[in-house]
Amino acid sequence: MSEMANTDPEGIDGVRMSWNSWPRTKVEASKCVIPLAACISPIRHHPDIQTLPYAPLRCKTCASPLNCFARVDFTAKIWICPFCFQRNHFPPHYGMISETNLPAELYPQFTTVQYTLPNPSINPQMGVDPNVPTALSPSPVFVFVLDTCMIEEEFDYVRSAMKRAIGLLPENALVGFVSFGTQAHVHELGFSDMSKVFVFRGTKEITKDQVMEQLGLTVPGRRGPGTSAAAAYQHKGMMPNGFPGSGVTRFLLPASDCEFTLNSLLDELQTDQWPVQPGTRASRCTGVALSVAAGLLGACLPGTGARIIALVGGPCTEGPGTIISKDLSDPVRSHKDLDKDAAPYFKKAVKFYDGLAKQLVSQGHVLDVFASALDQVGVAEMKVAVERTGGLAVLAESFGHSVFKDSFKRVFEDGEHSLGLCFNGTLEVNCSKDIKIQGIIGPCTSMEKKGPNVADTVIGEGNTSAWKMCGLDKSTCLTVFFDLSSSDRSNTPGTVNPQLYLQFLTSYQTPEGQTLLRVTTVTRRWVDSTVSSEELVQGFDQETAAVVMGRLASLKMEIEEGFDATRWLDRNLIRLCSKFGDYRKDDPSSFTLNPCFSLFPQFVFNLRRSQFVQVFNNSPDETAYFRMLLNKENITNAAVMLQPSLISYSFNSLPQPALLDVASIGADRILLLDSYFSVVIFHGMTIAQWRNMGYQNQAEHQAFAQLLQAPQDDAQMIIRERFPVPRLVVCDQHGSQARFLLAKLNPSATYNNAHEMAAGSDVIFTDDVSLQVFFEHLQRLAVQS
Amino acid sequence: MAAPVPPGAPRQQPPTGPPPNFQQNPNALADNFQNMNLNRPPSSNTRQPPFGQPPPFSSSAPASQRPGPFPPGAVPRPASGPPTPTLPPNMAPGRPSGAPFGQPPPFGSRPPPPGAFPSSMPPSAGSPPYGAPPPGARPSPVNMMPSGAPSGFISNGPPAPTFQGGQRFAPPGSSQQQAPMGAPPAMGPPGRAPPQAGAMHPFMGSPGAGASQVPPPSGMNQVAPTFGGPPQAMSGSVVSPYAPQMSSQPGVPPMPGSMPPPRMYGMPPPMQNQMTAISPVIGQTGGTQPGASKIDPNQIPRPIPSSSVILHDTRQGNQANPPPPATSDYIVRDTGNCSPRYMRCTINQIPCTADLLTTSGMQLALLVQPLALPHPSEEPIQIVDFGEGGPVRCSRCKGYINPFMKFIDQGRRFICNLCGFTDETPRDYHCNLGPDGRRRDADERPELCRGTVEFVATKEYMVREPMPAVYFFLIDVSMNAIQTGATAAACSSINQVIADLPEGPRTMVGIATFDSTIHFYNLKRVLQQPQMLIVPDVQDVYTPLQTDVIVPVSECRQHLELLLESIPTMFENTRTSESAFGAAIKAAFLAMKSTGGKLMVFQSVLPSIGLGALAAREAEGRSNISAGDKEAHKLLQPADKTLKDMAVEFAEYQVCVDVFITTKTYVDIASISVIPKVTGGQVYYYHPFSVVLDSVKLYNDLRWNVSRPQGFEAVMRVRCSQGIQVQEYHGNFCKRIPTDVDLPGIDCDKAIMVTLKHDDKLQDGAECAFQCALLYTTVYGERRIRVTTLSLPCTSNLSNLFRMADLDTQFVCFLKQAAREIPITPPLHVREQVTNFCINILLSYRKFCATVSSSGQLILPEALKLLPLYTLALIKSAGLRIEGKIDDRSFWINYVSSVSTPSAIPLVYPRMIAVHDLDTQEVNGSIVPAPLPLSSEHVSDEGIYLLENGQDCLIYVGNSVNPDILQQSLGVPSADQGGAEFNLQQYDNPLSKKLNEVINEIRRQRCSFLRLRLCRKGEQSGMAFFSYLIEDKVPTGGLSYVEFLVHIHRQIQMKMSS
Repeated sequence: MSEMANTDPEGIDGVRMSWNSWPRTKVEASKCVIPLAACISPIRHHPDIQTLPYAPLRCKTCASPLNCFARVDFTAKIWICPFCFQRNHFPPHYGMISETNLPAELYPQFTTVQYTLPNPSINPQMGVDPNVPTALSPSPVFVFVLDTCMIEEEFDYVRSAMKRAIGLLPENALVGFVSFGTQAHVHELGFSDMSKVFVFRGTKEITKDQVMEQLGLTVPGRRGPGTSAAAAYQHKGMMPNGFPGSGVTRFLLPASDCEFTLNSLLDELQTDQWPVQPGTRASRCTGVALSVAAGLLGACLPGTGARIIALVGGPCTEGPGTIISKDLSDPVRSHKDLDKDAAPYFKKAVKFYDGLAKQLVSQGHVLDVFASALDQVGVAEMKVAVERTGGLAVLAESFGHSVFKDSFKRVFEDGEHSLGLCFNGTLEVNCSKDIKIQGIIGPCTSMEKKGPNVADTVIGEGNTSAWKMCGLDKSTCLTVFFDLSSSDRSNTPGTVNPQLYLQFLTSYQTPEGQTLLRVTTVTRRWVDSTVSSEELVQGFDQETAAVVMGRLASLKMEIEEGFDATRWLDRNLIRLCSKFGDYRKDDPSSFTLNPCFSLFPQFVFNLRRSQFVQVFNNSPDETAYFRMLLNKENITNAAVMLQPSLISYSFNSLPQPALLDVASIGADRILLLDSYFSVVIFHGMTIAQWRNMGYQNQAEHQAFAQLLQAPQDDAQMIIRERFPVPRLVVCDQHGSQARFLLAKLNPSATYNNAHEMAAGSDVIFTDDVSLQVFFEHLQRLAVQS
Repeated sequence: MAAPVPPGAPRQQPPTGPPPNFQQNPNALADNFQNMNLNRPPSSNTRQPPFGQPPPFSSSAPASQRPGPFPPGAVPRPASGPPTPTLPPNMAPGRPSGAPFGQPPPFGSRPPPPGAFPSSMPPSAGSPPYGAPPPGARPSPVNMMPSGAPSGFISNGPPAPTFQGGQRFAPPGSSQQQAPMGAPPAMGPPGRAPPQAGAMHPFMGSPGAGASQVPPPSGMNQVAPTFGGPPQAMSGSVVSPYAPQMSSQPGVPPMPGSMPPPRMYGMPPPMQNQMTAISPVIGQTGGTQPGASKIDPNQIPRPIPSSSVILHDTRQGNQANPPPPATSDYIVRDTGNCSPRYMRCTINQIPCTADLLTTSGMQLALLVQPLALPHPSEEPIQIVDFGEGGPVRCSRCKGYINPFMKFIDQGRRFICNLCGFTDETPRDYHCNLGPDGRRRDADERPELCRGTVEFVATKEYMVREPMPAVYFFLIDVSMNAIQTGATAAACSSINQVIADLPEGPRTMVGIATFDSTIHFYNLKRVLQQPQMLIVPDVQDVYTPLQTDVIVPVSECRQHLELLLESIPTMFENTRTSESAFGAAIKAAFLAMKSTGGKLMVFQSVLPSIGLGALAAREAEGRSNISAGDKEAHKLLQPADKTLKDMAVEFAEYQVCVDVFITTKTYVDIASISVIPKVTGGQVYYYHPFSVVLDSVKLYNDLRWNVSRPQGFEAVMRVRCSQGIQVQEYHGNFCKRIPTDVDLPGIDCDKAIMVTLKHDDKLQDGAECAFQCALLYTTVYGERRIRVTTLSLPCTSNLSNLFRMADLDTQFVCFLKQAAREIPITPPLHVREQVTNFCINILLSYRKFCATVSSSGQLILPEALKLLPLYTLALIKSAGLRIEGKIDDRSFWINYVSSVSTPSAIPLVYPRMIAVHDLDTQEVNGSIVPAPLPLSSEHVSDEGIYLLENGQDCLIYVGNSVNPDILQQSLGVPSADQGGAEFNLQQYDNPLSKKLNEVINEIRRQRCSFLRLRLCRKGEQSGMAFFSYLIEDKVPTGGLSYVEFLVHIHRQIQMKMSS
């Protein structure tokens, strides 16, 4: 793993595939066990990417942009599209083209180029009213949706976090504010006479049209029963400025204008004033608040990049999106409840958020959820809306916790560590004939763009070759699943191009308001695995494959009833080993695995033990949160989620990776575990004693102080790079917090075999099988005939 | 309650003196009419004495005259007087001095049984003091005059209280005795107790001394002074209520000839057949002479209200005393029956059988006004606290203890006068009986000697803590309201009125505005400024906050002021013309739901959006009317049930809604008014609204609304003696069960009509009692039961019924029934019903009681002689005018449904006075000069006339008025100038001063800040003025008074002959 981290496996393209050589046929592909998938990071930063100040040249039949894999006839000024083999004439402005004078997109190393698009509204399918010139508002828009049902202390934390965030916003950013408790309050920031609030009842589902009407965002004074006359008037009223009413200036103000108003408003803001009966939960209408915010944005600024930033301190108990009754004796649903269908609110709430997601996607707006509560708040239900819009999700225990505070700050920060939040992305995939797209797992929504290369079977967001990403950032990663057409082409091998091509087109809006189109074209070889599997084996990317399997397993667990992920993973692993392992039938000891596959079983072993598969240790909210990040992060990060990294620090040696095994624990070592969501610094017993005695403060023990400091520094480095900010756990051997480490280690030493262990190491009290046992079984089953 | 006080003991007067729900300020009423454009003379700061000319000493007595708010020191009020320590030896010996409650000596006390006290008996067979004409003289044509033989009927006390003082106790001819009484300080009647001994009841029959109490000659002296020597006079700060009649009619001898007409009108003397007969020649079939011309218009009956105050004892000689006319100025002494202000019956004797009643053609109904405003000189209602046990009640019918419960068996048991059941007396309420069969403590216990008392309610009477006084103001801020200035007027009125809300930590206020959305305001003090909370969903409304939209007034005064000042400017540029009235009141209701309270809505346009939106159906209605559509009156019905259902829900949660309609257009009052009607509220109507004219009225109306005596979360029930039962209640309330009415709000101006029916035969000579119990919460959060009991004799004599008919009450009943008919029956039909009602009564009288007269005469029973006039007035009233605006008619109908008797009469039969010669007019003891008949004959082109009906006040300026007079009185040089928007001001000349004085007096009388409109001949305004002159013939078919009499007579003749 560590050697991989040193290279850049994604390169300029940001594309990693489970198989880098593709089998020719559908049958062969299915024998490969691991699906054909490409993980793409559509707007990942790379220094070599060229930004071209013109629009791409597109193939006249398949519309795929000109790329370096096109065959160019310089004399005839013709290029042949690699996807559809269409011959295209270069337009006049490409007249100067020659072998020595190539446009950037034809340079072989520039498989990825970026174009600046002059017209921001490129896609009529976004559902944007063409009458509304989106260019009017290039500045980013933030609507804060703040929960007010919480204790004062938490409320103070969240208020100050919000104030800080507002201070960090660019001056031209438009800001809106919605607070909610029993009811949802839309604050009219542009009203100067007094603080003015539109109150929406928390119990009633409200449509976008109703929000518009009730906020007075239709043409003023012309409301009431929608007579044709009124409609006509309304239409006329829209024409002069293109904006319906003056909603933008009433509810959404530039940060510079409303910072004072907002700050004093936050100062005066009280926690929800509706009484909470003893023994009941506060009534919290998260659902209504979010749909009102969505309606507000939809009315004011459809089609422009806007984020709804929800700060939620508890479960929704009121109105649409309710996840739990108000009665405190009724616990919030667990995985068990979901399994047994004993969560009466779950499906309804998911359906509500699904609708909200649709609305937001059609408007091109993003939902971010910052949930901070000891109990669940309903992230599991909101997941659909967050994920489909490409929003951010952060789950913390408290608004005072650094997981929330620092993450929240990062969202608004500029500079190197900024998230690079972009808006209104769309992804289109072109691929060679015979390749079918099944779908995408990741933060996006299908745009239902059918085409010949859309597969019948669907994985994730499918049935399309284009996807909408309302929000995306530089770490956003999507997993595209491919299938091959079932037609048998082995009859005509000569005529077939030995290369396959995939093209990913991502258009998006930068925070500065620019619209860019990134075109990534990749090629891979077709191999005939019936002839030789050698090439196929060499093209296997274990890490990507593990992540893809993890994502697929998670998805199946969510959508397939009674899906047994462990068995599914085991079976696939056994099949893979059976196919690609070298062994004699029924002789486990003869089993060997090609190095290209050697790490994969361990990945699967850890995946089986991870929170993604073993969900019962977590709440549905946590699981949803983990899965959202698993689906969104790049391969390297996702791999850390599946299989944490462990670094050992000790005297007299450099920090070195350690086996993720209980055996790595040593009394005189410090371990640094990075499991992505938490970073654990684990002091061995001796180290802890020394530290408690204060040796590190003595001049003669400076080396000890350095030893103590080194993992801290490394942990901080990890934390700085990561969003959401991971939880930092500093613990000592045998301390209670040590469980954060122990849970992730291979239980090679348990109480069953404790007597075999060396002194100073540790045991894990579990009945889980160790990696060794797992391998033994795997070998036995793989060689079975 | 302090432990030592035995349960049932009369409650100590609380330090505040008056019943706490009454305003502390004795001048509440007068002050209400704060004149912004009227420079009230300084004297109007104190309430005008209730009678015309202040007695000489009153000028030096600037203090208030309201009896209620006397400081506790005034408890011995009634006794008072210069220390005249000489108690007659027969007075009050052995009287326990330990009863320090403020119960005044009951004046003449309960008269001893007839015969025991012959000299003080009403004129029985003996010489009637104002001898009636001999029987035969009665039917002198074209003359109304009392007739009837002095019969043996003595059941009524002398009905003219003004005479009582002299009459009863002074032998005829000794009237000079009255003169000194007018000067009380000098007149230390020997019988008066010193102020310190106020607890003593010098005139009470102390049980042991019952016999010796009758002091033949000195008794007169003793009793008379209690009338003549007003207690207040002794204190030097209070005007005697009784003096005026002395001074205004000094030495009026009780001689028949000199009896002024008002006596006849007001007080039917104890004559059997008193009647008025009108020319025989009208409408004879022969038609040889036009009948009408035969009638002298100056001789036909017209109301001539007494100019002086009348003293009225509710019972005399253990007999119910028929009350004075409702419209007259009177002072009541509660001697067992309730004051007629609180409850009066259409007939002051109860017919024994249903047949008898049917024969008479009259109505049997009660008009109940449980919180009516007492006369300032009347004794306040006493509050009785029975401690934890609560008031003593009949265990069967749950009737409350009252003076007519008969104690038997040494006081161990009592017989309920309502259901006849015999109950055990609670042990701690037991008291021995005196030789007269009454409890010995009867006179000390208000509940045993007063027709009206108030009990302190115990927990048993509460379903929750008594609610706080909650006032929620809801203001229309739609474009129309803003532009007409209605919003600004409402805000400024509210701002000023905040100070008049009841003091106390429990007084809560909330404000909301609305146009197409509803805007609440968070008035919580911690906020730097009020926060506006908008409820945008007007189809399905809700309240935006549970707590902070209604806050204690003491905590939000600054915010309120700030808010009310900024509302008009905040919405200055609004373009929203829609009005979500229904949704807004619903939302306000939801905010108030937990407590209940008063919701005051200021509405300026037709509710056009949201819940309960209304359509502008007037236009359609107009064409229907002009097309003679039979269904036209449907516009007077509510458009749909939405508002009604809302109102019922409001009532359930004790929310009372008042609607102030400040508009220039149609707002569909028929629909809107359902809400106030069901919730015990009121509609105020300012149409066409003008900032200049109506702002002051709006303020004064609002101020009176919040400061008048009132109660919340009330329940009322009327119980009757066996044989009679309540048929129906009619008024502004919500009825969920047949026996009770729910009144989320009840105030002193609201009356409820209770129609009665027989379910059995009554016994002649027995008494039939009616008891109205009102359980309510005062503005200070005290739960009270006001029990009003009226006991009337039963009779099987038809002529008694006619003699004892109460014209005003009878007519008001009839008015209310007509008002209820108007929305469901075509107007012509209603008019016919109204006329028939009048005809049937007269016919019955003609048939059975006035047999001796010739058929050519129209015979009117004396008591009901004005019935034709009032009937005519009703036919021509705003509610029955087809050509009138729908909203005007709806408002009229709504107003009538809760109107009290004293306000109802002027509404139908307005008062017109001449004002151009005010400074020279001979006023007869009253500030307001004598009214003129409502006929254009009495309106001259040279004059200025004022006509008022309790709501509006029209000042008519003739075409050729002397410009000087015009300038002096109205401040305009000529009738053509001065614009329609006219404000009366006081100028420095006697005429103007007098005019202002008169108008203020009228306003005080009406408890209403009349809206002044200037009318000129030949203009629309002039037409409006003349439409009130109901005696005139109307070109569109309305009969003149004389013609109407002819019509009635003809009808009677036809029915007689058929």
